[in-house]
Amino acid sequence: MALRLTVNGEQHSLDVEGDTPLLWVIRDELGLKGTKFGCGAGLCGACTVHLNGQPVRSCSTPVEMADGGQVETIEGLGSGGQLHALQEAWIKHGVPQCGYCQSGQIMSAAHLLANNPAPSRDDIVAAMTGNLCRCGTYSRIIAAVESVAGSSNGQEA
Amino acid sequence: MAMNRRDFLKVSTGASGSLVVSLALPGCAGVQAGYEPRSGEWRPDAWLELTESDEVFFTLARVEMGQGTYTGLTTLIAEELEIEPERITPRFAPVAPEYRNPLYKLQLTGGSTSLATSWEPLRMAGAEARLMLIMAAARVWNVDAAECHASEGRVVHPNGIDSMAYGTLVELASKEVVRGDIALKPRERWKYIGKQRGRLDARAKSTGTAVYGIDVELPGMVYGVIARPSRHGGRVRRFNGDEVRAMAGVLEVFETGRGVAVVADKYWRARKAQEALSIEWDFSEALSVSTDDVFESYRTAADEDPGESERSEGSFERAVERAERVLEAEYAQPYLAHATLEPMNATAWYRGGRMEVWAPTQAPDLGRIAVARVTDLGPDDVIINTTFLGGGFGRRLTQDYIEEAAAIAYRIKRPVKVIWSREEDIRHDLYRPAMLHRMKASLAGGDLTGWHHQIVGPQILDWYVRNAAPAQYPWAPKFMYDTLGKVGLMAEGIATPKDMSAIEGAVEYPYQVDNIDIRHTHTDPGVPITWWRSVGYSHNGFAVETFMDELAHETGEDPYQFRRRLVSSEPRHLEVLDRAARLADWAAPAPQGRARGIALFRSFGTYVAQVVEAGIENGAIRVYKVACAVDCGQVVNPHIVADQIEGGILFGLTAALYGEITLENGQVQQSNFHDYQLMGQYERPEVLVDIVDSAEAPTGVGEPGVPPVIPAFGNALFALTGKRQRSLPLKAEA
Repeated sequence: MALRLTVNGEQHSLDVEGDTPLLWVIRDELGLKGTKFGCGAGLCGACTVHLNGQPVRSCSTPVEMADGGQVETIEGLGSGGQLHALQEAWIKHGVPQCGYCQSGQIMSAAHLLANNPAPSRDDIVAAMTGNLCRCGTYSRIIAAVESVAGSSNGQEA
Repeated sequence: MAMNRRDFLKVSTGASGSLVVSLALPGCAGVQAGYEPRSGEWRPDAWLELTESDEVFFTLARVEMGQGTYTGLTTLIAEELEIEPERITPRFAPVAPEYRNPLYKLQLTGGSTSLATSWEPLRMAGAEARLMLIMAAARVWNVDAAECHASEGRVVHPNGIDSMAYGTLVELASKEVVRGDIALKPRERWKYIGKQRGRLDARAKSTGTAVYGIDVELPGMVYGVIARPSRHGGRVRRFNGDEVRAMAGVLEVFETGRGVAVVADKYWRARKAQEALSIEWDFSEALSVSTDDVFESYRTAADEDPGESERSEGSFERAVERAERVLEAEYAQPYLAHATLEPMNATAWYRGGRMEVWAPTQAPDLGRIAVARVTDLGPDDVIINTTFLGGGFGRRLTQDYIEEAAAIAYRIKRPVKVIWSREEDIRHDLYRPAMLHRMKASLAGGDLTGWHHQIVGPQILDWYVRNAAPAQYPWAPKFMYDTLGKVGLMAEGIATPKDMSAIEGAVEYPYQVDNIDIRHTHTDPGVPITWWRSVGYSHNGFAVETFMDELAHETGEDPYQFRRRLVSSEPRHLEVLDRAARLADWAAPAPQGRARGIALFRSFGTYVAQVVEAGIENGAIRVYKVACAVDCGQVVNPHIVADQIEGGILFGLTAALYGEITLENGQVQQSNFHDYQLMGQYERPEVLVDIVDSAEAPTGVGEPGVPPVIPAFGNALFALTGKRQRSLPLKAEA
């Protein structure tokens, strides 16, 4: 079916089967490989992107449900050549180990801070709890999010 | 994983002498085979390449799967080369003899060996290149080389003012020859080793630009999926190929040695076609055991065969005869899956008589053998490109996913990417073996006088040698592959290394007991197995440290003091034990409703003690806090050491809380993260890591955090409930 998607501010017209998960459209049709496949069932969060401002599990979101929508991925998170404050914090705090889950982690954190610039520890844990990390980087994730939440940079997603 | 240092297949070293380029003399390590120097670049050794435009490339021979080789090994070479690690660009190594892991004589990353085996060679390589650069500069300035020095990528003139960038010296340096011994920098002059610095791969991994195997993209690439039998060893009888072949986007449907392959222009179309497959399987030779049968077979084997003696001191029998009390316990541990977050995948392209593969693999030279097995090609016709790995934990030591991609690529002659679903990843894993342990101890006058440990279960090398033996001898004709594997097994301990996978961590029992009897009853129920983050140490750690706890309680002694007394002559054990107890405030009572448990365990040369503070909340067991002390010798990157230890703790806790793969009539029952659960952010305990400042040679940190946390958790639950849990995973209702 013919679909229209705006991904990271760029408009795309696509012809794909409507039941194709948004994940595979982003990765294979648009070539944006930063969003990862982890479980295919919305259980791990590695594929998290923003659809119309909401975090969704793109592995289990049929692309037809995103038709006409605005999608933001890890590649579009920064602006004007600058990384998002969370990405800077991730680097500064040395969060990633294998790194495979981190795009999804950052997208979940970005949505949290866009809606709640000064979250409590409990707010952060609640927002991040659907994103699994097999390497065990959870404590660095909290530290990185808190470092941004504590500054004035956490306003935009 | 751990193999010992005995040479792998020593039998044929004479014939293969030309292949095994010595890594023992790192300064002399050969330049990569087939390398022809072009002007403007210089390769002083197998690892470094410096260019006239002042770039420094470092060939990383140990893959990056999260454990930090990308940063840690680069730091080693940077230190002696005298350049900031951030200015070095690491590149993943191709398959070549000089990149083999000297402990295994295979190019593989595992066993927490990367830093230990690179510690001297990489620093030597950096130092030699630095000396050559200094000699070249001294020749230009016509001064004594001994009065020049190098700093931050430049050689500095004796006047302390003039300097030359390495890039300008590349051509001259390539003509210099270093004679005599090379002195490494003393510890007090280190600028990068042991200093708190970030990870060199953090930026790529925080921006979505790091390329993992699953991200590889090739022109005209198509996608392959494979329908595998639900039970290991099942064979395809017939399937509805014509029907599926007619589906949109489907290019090929055919039988491979692993099942039925479906190739389509898009991944999702391949998946939909796979769902439409109707396959009749032949299960006549397939695995048919259930988990209960496995443990029953272990018990029968244990009764019938006392096992091979792996360590014997004094006389355990006599100790029992003279004992006042004898304690016995049986521990059982389930099969465990790896669940790397990046599922298995590989991309292959067959053209011009060669197969090129892109894959997240821990053992690229075994990948070449895997390709050779399923094609008419020899290992030399195969190129393996290694990517970042989205987790490894031992799973990617086995190259079944490369074998699949190669079989498809060989047939369709265009680039193909094979991606496993999570369900396939869980169900077609090679598991951490299920194990049984029978423990017996004698006590006299409050003293532990005898220790008996019978380990019951399979050995991993039985499963691994199939491809590992041929990989060591890539010159061997293919018809010899199976023979090499069999010879390797028959000559275990002589020709192949003794397989330590079942007994590691048990035979190094560190406590001072006069009578020790440690045995392994070898029995294999046929369930596919492989290494898993800390492997044998993970199950032996639980058995040894839980039983030690039982003995402490039996004697009425504090579990920390009981251990302390029995390792009093082992200073490094003692140090971490004391530090962990201090860090956890062991002497003070635990908060209301919680209790503490302790464990001490050395693995991969690294000493770790942990205190777990646990409780039961809303009917579920919960860990609140883990205090950990670690001695891994010289620390190269404190940030990574702390992360690896904490990561190991969470990996172990995940196993203790949830880890269990069960089989029903040969079929794995779990499939995804809902029934093979990983510890989540909400249940993360507070983790404190205290690292001993040591100048001893560095040892691994990727795995040693795992083993002690499981028994420490169980011991805490015993302290809380008074009920001993002797099987895993741990439960609220024991």
